[in-house]
Amino acid sequence: MSTPLMTSTYSMWSLFRNCRKACEYRYVTGLVSLQKDPNLSFGSLIHECLLIWHGTRDLAQVLDHLERSCAARVSDDGVRRDWHLARAMMTAYATRYSREDFYIIALEKTFEGPIVNPKTGAASRSFLLAGKVDGIVRIGDSNYILEHKTAAQIDADYLERLWTDFQITIYAYYVEQTLGIPITGVIYNVLAKARLQQSRGETEDEYQTRRSELIAKSKSGTSTAKRKMPESDEEFQARLAEKYADPEMFHRETLYLSRERFDILREELWQLTQEFLRARNHKVFYQNTSFCFHHNRPCAYFAICRSNGNPNVIDNFFEIAAPHEELREAEPAF
Amino acid sequence: MLPTAKTPPKTGLSDLTVLVYGQTKIGKTTLCSQAEGALFLATEPGLNALDVFQAPILSWDDLLIACAEIVEGKHPFKTVIIDTIDNAYKFCTDYILKKFKIEHESDLGYGKGYAIVNNEFQRVLTKLAFLPYGLFLISHAKEVEMDSRTGKYVRVVPTLPDKARKIVLGMADMVLFCDLEPTTGEDGSQILRRVIRTKPSLYHEAGDRTGRLPETIDLDFAKFYEAYGAAPAVNNPKPAPTKPAAAATK
Repeated sequence: MSTPLMTSTYSMWSLFRNCRKACEYRYVTGLVSLQKDPNLSFGSLIHECLLIWHGTRDLAQVLDHLERSCAARVSDDGVRRDWHLARAMMTAYATRYSREDFYIIALEKTFEGPIVNPKTGAASRSFLLAGKVDGIVRIGDSNYILEHKTAAQIDADYLERLWTDFQITIYAYYVEQTLGIPITGVIYNVLAKARLQQSRGETEDEYQTRRSELIAKSKSGTSTAKRKMPESDEEFQARLAEKYADPEMFHRETLYLSRERFDILREELWQLTQEFLRARNHKVFYQNTSFCFHHNRPCAYFAICRSNGNPNVIDNFFEIAAPHEELREAEPAF
Repeated sequence: MLPTAKTPPKTGLSDLTVLVYGQTKIGKTTLCSQAEGALFLATEPGLNALDVFQAPILSWDDLLIACAEIVEGKHPFKTVIIDTIDNAYKFCTDYILKKFKIEHESDLGYGKGYAIVNNEFQRVLTKLAFLPYGLFLISHAKEVEMDSRTGKYVRVVPTLPDKARKIVLGMADMVLFCDLEPTTGEDGSQILRRVIRTKPSLYHEAGDRTGRLPETIDLDFAKFYEAYGAAPAVNNPKPAPTKPAAAATK
């Protein structure tokens, strides 16, 4: 009886390249943190909004989706912050891109195909490769992958780094191979996250303390300082709208993919499958400690590694979840 | 330098690092006081009602001095109990603030202050855990709202700050949650039974990496000891040190 093929994704291979130990925890053991990552939840929310926008071109539907998704904002500051930011971002986005020069072929399109040995042309008997692209669009006679990104800052380094994106080469190659749509390149649709915070104002005690300090510094022994009141939702939305009126908050970058990149990809993917099988057979997924603080924050599995795999850490801070959650069909958003 | 044989599994309680936590007055200290050759490093008052050997710890320096005496080994104690580990962490923070002449951890910028505190805290606990004595760490319990992938829920956790909690749980062989369990008495009335929970759930943190303990045990040291299946008797003769409080004196 043959072993069922293991579904792999860009995320799995990327993690395997970066740290085999983290890859083992996520894709072999199936561990995920109990605590939700706020950065990921905001990115997911914006992806949902963009799916609705590009599917309907109706801002009211986007905002309605936001109202429903962020119903907990009344009691949850994190959700409230996401709601404010997403609302301002999508409203400005709809104005900025009220007309597009591309035609949408598909949105949130999944694919699945074999991983092939480039030397023999034989398909792997261990792995499949699956994924989901944000969109496939057509400009003239050419097709492009549409890839949405949210970024803290869109600067030169960020843009120059895009060509190294292993994900998009995989997606373009597999869209061609499995869906039969030739891909010319990728349109990166980058949305910057404003760093503005809604002002909470100051309490009476905080105001009195600040006032006393000002009076102490003043030669006249008086101060005209007024208590800072909390910023209303309308005031904060207005401030965000002003920020998002800046064209720098959105960026579209088109990258063209050469056939040579596909050749390199095939070689690398095959090599990765062989390395993964070797690691799994020998039960040795080594740590890459240089990756522990990638993006200047600890890896999701840092606490496990730091405790040398103490099961108390695993049992109390992690749960088992099915791999490749990103491949789940999106709930019908419109 | 390199080992020639596998490390045998730890079999005695005196080899283990145990975190005991629960609500105030539930009996955490009493439970720990019955450990073999118990020495309390008392970072907060509350031991007055108990007949125990204790060294009052009022600062991180006190703790370091006490630890140095414990390492020296000229004493009869077999289990070191830090009561509470929360206060020990506060002392560690104060020690670092004083050392770096700052008012708050954030004054060092980029989270450096927090990292230095956590590194110092872990350094000392790791060193203590390596000693041939049992190490019991006592903490209080608090409820936190968990923002999980599937929704929000309330969970009972030790009162240590998040990163310190991860350090302590990461070195603990057992995480024992002292809790109250509603049960029905013989006369049919509802009573609250004091228990130790040894397995984690969505609603509390706990754990037993030895795998010897049942999920719930009565909050009673004899029953805990029996459940663990350790060889030595429960009521070990109390040590009779010549200088019981010497550890705390500078």
